[in-house]
Amino acid sequence: MKIKPMKLNHSKQWYEDRIALEGDAEIGAGTPPGVRAKTPAKSKVTPVDTRIAFGTFVALWRRNRGWDVAALAEAAALDPQGILEIERDPHYEPEPDVVRKLAGVFGLSPKPLLELAGLIKPGTPQLREAAVRFAARSESVAALNDREREAFEAFVSAISKKV
Amino acid sequence: MTESRIYLQRAKTNKLVEASLLDEVTDRHLAMWEGSWCPAMEAYCEGRTAGNQPEDHHWDWKWKADEWRPLLGYHSFAIVCEKDLQGLMLVSDFKSARLRVQFGKPVVYVEFVATAPWNRPELRKPPRFRGVGTVMVAAAVELSWELGYRGRIGLHSLEAAERFYRDHCGMTKLGKDRGHQGLPYYEMTEKQAERFRQ
Repeated sequence: MKIKPMKLNHSKQWYEDRIALEGDAEIGAGTPPGVRAKTPAKSKVTPVDTRIAFGTFVALWRRNRGWDVAALAEAAALDPQGILEIERDPHYEPEPDVVRKLAGVFGLSPKPLLELAGLIKPGTPQLREAAVRFAARSESVAALNDREREAFEAFVSAISKKV
Repeated sequence: MTESRIYLQRAKTNKLVEASLLDEVTDRHLAMWEGSWCPAMEAYCEGRTAGNQPEDHHWDWKWKADEWRPLLGYHSFAIVCEKDLQGLMLVSDFKSARLRVQFGKPVVYVEFVATAPWNRPELRKPPRFRGVGTVMVAAAVELSWELGYRGRIGLHSLEAAERFYRDHCGMTKLGKDRGHQGLPYYEMTEKQAERFRQ
């Protein structure tokens, strides 16, 4: 994506007003205390981040087929509620068997999906990074737009390469 | 690299002074960090117990720079005023929102942000400049707009900075994140970003 150079154009008054609100407040954000700064930024993807990617992937795969949740649930012999939880709640931890059944329907190896769902130890940081990027580029709309379709196909390709 | 003219407030006089926001941390900035920021931080921490040191005293920005430079999806910012480095920030553009109203949508995520030691009231009274936090949040929001994310940003606040993000920036707290050592996670929605920019 081509990004325009970022430039701030606020008025002097805006700074006057906003800085008055900031006052002497502390402003630090980022690495928690006690964690060495030398933790690589790229390894800071958390299980919640990858579960968001996993949920987005399941939703886009389904929509790419024109399926509703019930259709996917039927194909995978799963409870529709469980699929909804996977798609919408990153704190929901699905059963490994559920992920394996979904992988079967998707025609993919279960291993990368189990990793994204936080059910096995992370072994492929590049895949996780790609997954999170993929989720971030995918909006929840009724039909896949060109950008989503492109991201979806690239991600399927990335998963397949890791099998 | 793009330079924006911004303002900070000189704490001693409460007057605004012109400063620069650069949308890329360069070797020159890292040399400034090493040459003045680090010694000031070390001097403050000397003889203090771990609990009394700033939460970010161990952050190694030079090392961080080597990590993010080869990676796509990361953007760095520096604020310079009166030839000194005043603040640093690193953000990424591939994380997803967690708030229900914007769940799954992309956010600009603030990986790290810090102000120079001489701008912290707990280290120097009065501090030299105020406003670094405001400018950095404005930069993250603006980048979010440029990327088409409509101002959505997210971050894990250090404990001492919660008041700034909650009360002054109007962000929403989602609670403590066990995946980030229990640090509180905050998000700014499109509407909150609009209010912040006004």
